[in-house]
Amino acid sequence: MSSSRPHTSEGVSDTERSLLRESVRGLLAARWQPERAVEQSASTQAIAALWRDMAEQGLASLGSDAGEAGLREIVLVFEELGRASCPAPLLGAVAANLVFAAQQSNAARAMLEDLHQGNAMVALALGAFDGDPSAGRVVMRRDTLSGKVSFVEGAQAATHVLIFTNTGVAVFASDAPGLTMQATPGLAVPPFSEITFENTPAMQLSVESEILADVALAARLACAGRALGAAERAFELAVDHAKIRKQFGQLIGQFQAVQHKLANCLISLDGARLTLEAAAEARDNGNPDWRIFAASALAFAGPALRAVSIETHRALGAIGYAEEHEAPRHFRRVHADLVRFGGAPRARAELADALLGPVQ
Amino acid sequence: MGPAANAFRQEVRDWLAKHWTPEKQAAHRRKPFKERGWDVEFSKLMGRDGWIGVGWPKEFGGQGRSATEQIAFITEMANSGAPSQAHGTAESIVAQALFAHGTKAQQDEWLSAIRRGERTFALGYSEPEAGSDLAALRTRATRDGDDWIVNGQKLWSTGGDKAEYMWLAVRTDPDAKKHAGISVLMVDLRSPGITIRPSLALYGKTFSAQFYDNVRVPAKNMVGAVNNGWKVITDALAAERVMIGGTRMARIESAFDRLTEYLKTAEAGGKALRNDPVIRDRIGALAADIEVARQFQMRNSRLVEQGKVPIHEGAMAKVFASELQERLGQAALDILGTGGLLSEEADSAPVGEMEQVLRHAIMGMIGGGTNEIQRNVIAQRGLDLPR
Repeated sequence: MSSSRPHTSEGVSDTERSLLRESVRGLLAARWQPERAVEQSASTQAIAALWRDMAEQGLASLGSDAGEAGLREIVLVFEELGRASCPAPLLGAVAANLVFAAQQSNAARAMLEDLHQGNAMVALALGAFDGDPSAGRVVMRRDTLSGKVSFVEGAQAATHVLIFTNTGVAVFASDAPGLTMQATPGLAVPPFSEITFENTPAMQLSVESEILADVALAARLACAGRALGAAERAFELAVDHAKIRKQFGQLIGQFQAVQHKLANCLISLDGARLTLEAAAEARDNGNPDWRIFAASALAFAGPALRAVSIETHRALGAIGYAEEHEAPRHFRRVHADLVRFGGAPRARAELADALLGPVQ
Repeated sequence: MGPAANAFRQEVRDWLAKHWTPEKQAAHRRKPFKERGWDVEFSKLMGRDGWIGVGWPKEFGGQGRSATEQIAFITEMANSGAPSQAHGTAESIVAQALFAHGTKAQQDEWLSAIRRGERTFALGYSEPEAGSDLAALRTRATRDGDDWIVNGQKLWSTGGDKAEYMWLAVRTDPDAKKHAGISVLMVDLRSPGITIRPSLALYGKTFSAQFYDNVRVPAKNMVGAVNNGWKVITDALAAERVMIGGTRMARIESAFDRLTEYLKTAEAGGKALRNDPVIRDRIGALAADIEVARQFQMRNSRLVEQGKVPIHEGAMAKVFASELQERLGQAALDILGTGGLLSEEADSAPVGEMEQVLRHAIMGMIGGGTNEIQRNVIAQRGLDLPR
């Protein structure tokens, strides 16, 4: 399923990217095995220990230096997290790195240092940039923050929370006064959380909204990459299953009904991969149209990868329906990552804005 | 696309601006729809100035352009509306096969004539009992001295009533296993014993049935060894699919552009269509799909440039683009309403040729191996699923 993209002169080469993929996959194979992934995902200690190992490999710094790693590398690492059903707190780290790389801040330095050493784990709330109108808002009043945000991932294990506001970002420790956190169980595992602030003291930094919008878009692509990794891994299980499972005296993979469904899945997976990579590459090359490419990738990946996830389960049958099987966790991941942040409908609206102009 | 392809694109545009003049365009549009696209005189003009064989290797007199540049060329040609069907099959499928399987004498004679736009071809593959299962074909060729004698029937040959030659798949060994007894002949359609019966296909142009009754074809017109025709056919098709995909994508993109341009200003019942949330949602989805189809096409050209043959990748691009064209055609009808049913011959049609896009989509899903056969290829070649 390689995209056979040629070597590009800018930044990281294709060879370096495959090495990065191998090293992340190797780390996760050793530290986040499929048999224990679900149990470990519920453990704050297990996530913290893995995060320190990831930081040792430099993964906690992703996004802080565009010369070392661009959006292509970020998306790639998210794919690997998706494959391994690993809830490592990379989304908040990448967002923090991208924001503070664009906007130097002395106040943030200590937090970034802790982050890069694997001691800090950052949960991310995009606030007004989330794209989901129910994701909540916060109001800055002098040096404190009030309001509520919803659908925050990794909040239970986080040491810090990074929130996008209308004027920039706010950062605070997750045990700050006036902050309460509540898990909201659902299809996403580990669950999202709701965070309420009441006059919570926060470090603030003003950042241009264009920068915040771009970081939010990069976060959406990263999550789509994670969904792609999960969908692809589950699909591989289904294809392998179709090659060994016999019914009516023949392999189910010989049935044309099954073959055509799996062929459709490969089209969806490759389409999502090619457009995601093209969007990330355009952004890394400074092509201003990268936002259009990103919206295209998100608009396609949403329905396409969710359909792959469904077809995967249909191929696996009841064998894959048990929660102890690997497939259900990927199903959850694919849907959670593609529905959030406004999902495909928002991306389609963005494309319509670009082609037809905004609604008047 | 890169600077090289962009410079080349400009070169093509400049040539078209000079030779595909507004007068010629107007004259072309005055022709009935089924006559458009096939213009031998224009093909000869293109041939004179070196625009046939743009992607051919230089040793065969081509420009040796990369796959990416070829797609740029095809896109410019399609966007201009200049006719290229007369030489298209010869330039692509026949030439590809001659590069790999032609004798020196065949290459010297046929390739140079094709390059000048002087030898037009149609494909004689399908038969009443051999559609998706092409290798079941039964049209017989038996040897008689320096000739082959052909008897049988072919179907659905696009351009078969206009071309001078047929690229004909025949059975030369009825006892061999079905893929092993096939050969390819280049048949002069003016030969005695040939009856051609065109019919109008749903997309508005003709395709033809042909009956071959003891037709003599010189043995030197066989391409590749006797009984090696299956290899000749499949080799030519794989590389060719990339270029067919390029033409299809250019048509889809230009139809979508026309639709969005129209929507920017159109009103219905006093309301601007562009503000309709349902229309916006569908336009957004189609735009994303077009980007996906473009990425599939670019992957194919990268593979070709790396000297690889995109088999299941080619099938994926073909399936996706043809079904996207169908979605585009259906969406256009919903968006334009009853007006979308009007053809460009009706002055009040809101956007010309939109209903034709839908009729033409069906050919994409059937032609060159149905999408169901393509899905078999994707499953068996791309995923290694058992036969």
